[in-house]
Amino acid sequence: MAIAQPTAGVRPSRWQQMWKSVAIIFESRVATVGLAMVLFWLLIGFISLVWTPHEPNASDFIQNLPPNGTNWLGTDHLGRDITSRLMQGTQVILLKTRLPGDSEISIPGGVAIWGVIGSLVLGVTLGLNAGYRGGWWDQIIMQILDALIAFPRIVLYLVVIAALGQGDMVVILAITITGAPGVARLARSLAMDIKTRDYIRAAETRGESVRYIMFREILPNARGPLLVDAMLRVGYAIFAIGTLGFLGIGLPPPDPDWGNMVNEARRNIFSNQTAVIWPSLAIATLVIGLNLFADGLREELTRYQK
Amino acid sequence: MKKNIISREQMEEVHPQIPKAYDQFTQGRISRREFIRMATLLGMSASLAVACGGGEEPAAEPAAAPDTGGEEAAAPTGGIKRGGTWTGSMNLQLLDHPARLSWVEGANIVRQIGEYLTETGPDNITRPYLLEKWEASADVKTWDLFLRKGIKFNNGDELTADDVLFTFGEWLNPDVGSSMLGLLSYLKGMESVEKVDDYHIRLHLETANIGVPEHLFHYPAIVLHRDFEGDIIKQPVGTGAFTLEEYAEGERAVFKRREDYWRMGEDGKPLPYLDELIYVSTDKDAGVAALQSGQVDTLYDPRPSDFQALKDVPGLVVRPVSTAQCLVLRMRVDLEPWDDNRVRTALKMCQDRPKILQLAYFGEGDLSIDAHMAPVHPAYCEKDIPKYDPEGAKALLEEYAAEKGIELPLKVTLATKNDQAEPEIAQALKEQAAAGGFDISLDITDPAGYWDRWTEVDLGITSWTHRPLATMVLPLAYIEEAIGAWNETRWFDDEFTTLLREAEATLDVEARRAIMCKLEDIMQERGPIGNAFWKSIWNITHERFQNVKAHPTAYDLLYDVWIDE
Repeated sequence: MAIAQPTAGVRPSRWQQMWKSVAIIFESRVATVGLAMVLFWLLIGFISLVWTPHEPNASDFIQNLPPNGTNWLGTDHLGRDITSRLMQGTQVILLKTRLPGDSEISIPGGVAIWGVIGSLVLGVTLGLNAGYRGGWWDQIIMQILDALIAFPRIVLYLVVIAALGQGDMVVILAITITGAPGVARLARSLAMDIKTRDYIRAAETRGESVRYIMFREILPNARGPLLVDAMLRVGYAIFAIGTLGFLGIGLPPPDPDWGNMVNEARRNIFSNQTAVIWPSLAIATLVIGLNLFADGLREELTRYQK
Repeated sequence: MKKNIISREQMEEVHPQIPKAYDQFTQGRISRREFIRMATLLGMSASLAVACGGGEEPAAEPAAAPDTGGEEAAAPTGGIKRGGTWTGSMNLQLLDHPARLSWVEGANIVRQIGEYLTETGPDNITRPYLLEKWEASADVKTWDLFLRKGIKFNNGDELTADDVLFTFGEWLNPDVGSSMLGLLSYLKGMESVEKVDDYHIRLHLETANIGVPEHLFHYPAIVLHRDFEGDIIKQPVGTGAFTLEEYAEGERAVFKRREDYWRMGEDGKPLPYLDELIYVSTDKDAGVAALQSGQVDTLYDPRPSDFQALKDVPGLVVRPVSTAQCLVLRMRVDLEPWDDNRVRTALKMCQDRPKILQLAYFGEGDLSIDAHMAPVHPAYCEKDIPKYDPEGAKALLEEYAAEKGIELPLKVTLATKNDQAEPEIAQALKEQAAAGGFDISLDITDPAGYWDRWTEVDLGITSWTHRPLATMVLPLAYIEEAIGAWNETRWFDDEFTTLLREAEATLDVEARRAIMCKLEDIMQERGPIGNAFWKSIWNITHERFQNVKAHPTAYDLLYDVWIDE
């Protein structure tokens, strides 16, 4: 009787391993659609780094034009091309962050991305400490974070921006401070679960430091749910930037961000309705895309775990 | 031009300066509007001044009004119809003491139940109102105010000099906190206000000032009843044509017509023509939608975007009016780099005024020179509008940068508020000034955020409201004494101040214009502000309302408005 022999010794290549990890996305139709929407805006953003149909900040056209052959999405109240501004608006959210001060230097990664990274770093650090150490650590950290969560989010944004002024880094800080408590709660619950596992006991028996156990033993095993949560948080962060822009306290003009575009167009909504629709649609599609992607990913990861 | 109806001697009897002004008018050296303003200023009744000024209307100048109430307007054509309700959209604020009013919205409520001693009409000419006339001494330091007789408050009491003295007392009482206190700084408390008899009050000014009639129409200057206790909502007593039936802050205000008002309509019966006024408190966007759908008849002080939305709506009539309202680009001359006149001048040269007006106000306004004097001000001195000159600006900046050892572009931060058209001006200027060697960062906050620091920022855009005389606004912001108050630029100039004091005491329009020419030159050459345009404002009201007037300060003058369905 022929018995199938295991292919011992033939390890999949690194590319094969990577593709296997990525392919899980395409197992889910929801995640695939979400990824396509996000990639569309990423592509638009990259294109805008080298080309836009017109100069985004130049008032070169008649004000409040409807969509036409020259201005595909029309013009805004200052006679600027909406297509070009919408394209450039992608950059600040996803692709680059302007550093404060007089320099023109930007760093890769948009305000939403850095805001979420900030939330993750702060939230995970606090959550792991609270969850793994327990006791007074847990009490004090969670009381402070609960107090922050109890604050209305918009009020927190206002407090941070009123104290520190406008700018990309301030918006990142605002997103970090408002996002960290949620991440910390998730990281704490995961840490409390994982710390009961045998391999944590083994690490403790080996005499590993608390830091090692938290970041080398617990964190890698908690990254799945944290990454899915982070995807959702990028969507929240884009909404936050949009909200701040709409309130007129977001990123400083004239460089476009979608929230500011909605806010400015709102003032002329009775004479130019389409100018409000395009940036609103952009925010909605990117956020929906990220949510679909995260939902699909979670679904597949959960199935894989079962 | 019609023949003059009174003699030179009669003119001279009213005031010795009037015949001279009349000569200047007949020689074409001053306009008809300027003659009427000066004649009324010197105590001639408006109807006589209009008659002296001739019946033929220069095309650009609106008709002056009969003497009986003040405001100018063409007489209503056709038969007056009485009755009906007017509904307006306006933010309704907390109100208490009229002397403490800080916003025109509140004044629009109070002016329906109370009145002023004078009235500056939509043509920017001030006429007697509760006053029958006023007389100024030759040195403009003594003013005699003569009250009309027979005017009754809505509680039945007659208006007398005691009420006027009580009102002056409220204005001049620091505890009340009225902005009239600063405006009437030429009065040394109540000892400068003398009751001559029941209908005659005399003001003794410490320093000469030609603006007294205009000051008496400053929006908190409602004449109060002598028993007023401090809250106009609890005690809505006044001489106005309506009575207050209901006032709910943030909700609505309702007024009913008064039967025994003192002014008569065209039909010989007491004004007002309308039975009822209703103000509904909404924000601007909701107000636009309400006006479009016919739920309200008008909207208070439409923004440029509201004008764009409403100008072509069938059934609405748009009445524009030029004003002295502006959005001033102001520079702190006590701070670098604005302490150097080359930098200030360079930024002024970077204003592409027609483009800024188009982008910020859809072209609805008058281009301006870089001075705080408007073409609607009497004695304004006509100057050429400066051209956009980025090359000239860059040359000045290069000179400055070489001297200071710095590199261009010069990085500066422009602060303002996201209120009217400030963000649009700021963004347009950022683009235009880049070619001139400036790199402007924008710091745009909500209005409260800017008003908290408007006198402190290095470079900012501040909105200034309409004032009928240039001599009313210049002492507020461009003299040394105003530092710490409204002098947001810290700029003052000895020559400028001397000339300004001279202008404040100069009755002769031509002489005052000559002074204004020098003042405007100084502001343009070394002043602290850029000013691209003067705003137009609009009254947008349903077409069934007749005799509606657009006022440059967005005042609702409704006593002789009537409905023709």
